Amino acid sequence: MLLDVRDLRVEFRTRDGVAYAVNGVSYGVDAGETLAVLGESGSGKSVTAQAVMGILDTPPGRITGGRILFRGRDLLTLKEEERRRIRGAGMAMIFQDALSALNPVMTVGDQLGEMFVVHRGMSRKDARARAVELMDRVRIPAAAQRVRDYPHQFSGGMRQRIMIAMALALEPALIIADEPTTALDVTVQAQVMDLLAELQREYRMALILITHDLGVVADVADRIAVMYAGRIVESAPVHDIYRAPAHPYTRGLLDSVPRLDQKGRQLYAISGLPPNLTRIPPGCSFHPRCPLARDVCRTDDPPLYGVDDGRSSACHFWRECLHDRDH
Amino acid sequence: MGRYVVRRLLQMVPVFVGSTLLIFLMVNVMGDPVAGLCGDRQCDPATAAQLRREFGLDQPRWQQYATYMGNVFTGDFGTAFNGQQVTELMSTAFPVTVRLTIVAVLFEIVIGVTLGVLTGLRRGRPVDTTVLLLTLVVISVPTFVTGLLLQLLLGVTWGWIKPSVSPDAAFGELIVPGLVLASVSLAYVTRLTRTSLAENKRADYVRTAVAKGLPRHRVVTRHLLRNSLIPVVTFIGTDIGALMGGAIVTERIFNIHGVGYQLYQGILRQNTQTVVGFVTVLVLVFLVANLLVDLLYAVLDPRIRYA
Repeated sequence: MLLDVRDLRVEFRTRDGVAYAVNGVSYGVDAGETLAVLGESGSGKSVTAQAVMGILDTPPGRITGGRILFRGRDLLTLKEEERRRIRGAGMAMIFQDALSALNPVMTVGDQLGEMFVVHRGMSRKDARARAVELMDRVRIPAAAQRVRDYPHQFSGGMRQRIMIAMALALEPALIIADEPTTALDVTVQAQVMDLLAELQREYRMALILITHDLGVVADVADRIAVMYAGRIVESAPVHDIYRAPAHPYTRGLLDSVPRLDQKGRQLYAISGLPPNLTRIPPGCSFHPRCPLARDVCRTDDPPLYGVDDGRSSACHFWRECLHDRDH
Repeated sequence: MGRYVVRRLLQMVPVFVGSTLLIFLMVNVMGDPVAGLCGDRQCDPATAAQLRREFGLDQPRWQQYATYMGNVFTGDFGTAFNGQQVTELMSTAFPVTVRLTIVAVLFEIVIGVTLGVLTGLRRGRPVDTTVLLLTLVVISVPTFVTGLLLQLLLGVTWGWIKPSVSPDAAFGELIVPGLVLASVSLAYVTRLTRTSLAENKRADYVRTAVAKGLPRHRVVTRHLLRNSLIPVVTFIGTDIGALMGGAIVTERIFNIHGVGYQLYQGILRQNTQTVVGFVTVLVLVFLVANLLVDLLYAVLDPRIRYA
């Protein structure tokens, strides 16, 4: 296992009390594998990724438990200087909004080249040449001229390509992409996603794709982890989950995707709202919104039940959910 | 960029004409330019009328203004009532004030920015609270109080400096007056830097810089400071004009014979030519300083450059 997150817990101190953002998340990725982490905003998917990268704002955030094993070493026990060397070189992150995630007063060439200057000790001139190569690699036209341009001079899709190039620069073993296409036009989304998938195959990188877009997931992911209220509620190979979800929350997500054959009918929506993270309901945190909820769900926190080989679900009634395919 | 400069230069014309016209009218219409000539006594009507004819004050106002501006552009700012050329006064006064302003701006940059960076990076810590409180004190206390107090303590009680500056006004003598002149702006620079830094610290591109695995000092200097200091630089730039024209109090306290001192004397003695002349030059200084700031802004922030 390249990355193995075990029972990770993260809290935030807020004015309303402690927000339990991540409550015992475990997931892993192998080299070359794509894991999609799916969930609504506030489900803890980004916070988990930030903890892995070591870019969590502390305070107010705090890692209260768990381990993050990267190539067998627990990142949480490393010194900051050691972690810094891993960031960018061993694992890299692609952010959602490239316009705000890139430095507005620095040329893209300098921002790309910086990776080589800092991590590889290259001269500025050599780093500039590598930056042009990278921009070519992510198919930015006229890279040699555009290397001197600033982020705001690029279109949204081109900017996201620059973010991807920056993450790829040192050929890290793991890339975490946090909603990489959310800020883009639909047509551009597909191009950027294809590019990312292609480069991932080429460099045999592991990819953690954080998203709330089920459409994106189906094409590129090997495995899916569905998060709810800071926990993983279902984890499975991608085809299994689309064929037969083993958790009512996953089913709700799949049912709320608009489909052409259901045109004109009212779109399904999961009733209720995600819980306030300072007051997560006892028992199964999904029970107030769950159509299958019974008394036991209000009191007993479901463990991750092994459903099948490589499949698990945190639902007391996963069997029911799995077999009751047509509601 | 070239077109931008031309546009800005053209914009300066109406501002220059408007502001000089205002000051010209204020002094020549609302006050009596001849009154000052006769000292404390009332002027003899016949003499006054003769003087008016002599100075062209019987002509229409617009003609007077046109004549004045015409003279200004040939470098003739008129004659003060004591017979001295106004340009002569300027040539002794401006170098002194420029030196004073340089000292003040240096204080703003060195102390203001340093304190701002220090507090911005350590927000909420004791250093931050202390500095913040000090800036509040400096801002609240008027300059003449700070000035007189420093003059009394450093100049008289402890004797570390000479309480009044010699006519040469060398840089060494201007350190304390420069600090006094800079004090309020310095406090603002500190606060501006601090706020700007604290805001940008949470920016996405700083998080990106951390995620790239850059060392902390590089994240701070290359990414955080470079962005945070843009508003500070522009503030200091615009402040240059204000410092040069606003040194009246400081120059009075330390007896510095600069622009502020001459202006003060001119107003006190109703010396029309001196006042209008000096203010006209100060307007120019303001305009040029602002133009330079705008150009600097474009250099510092590429988003403006290509807009």
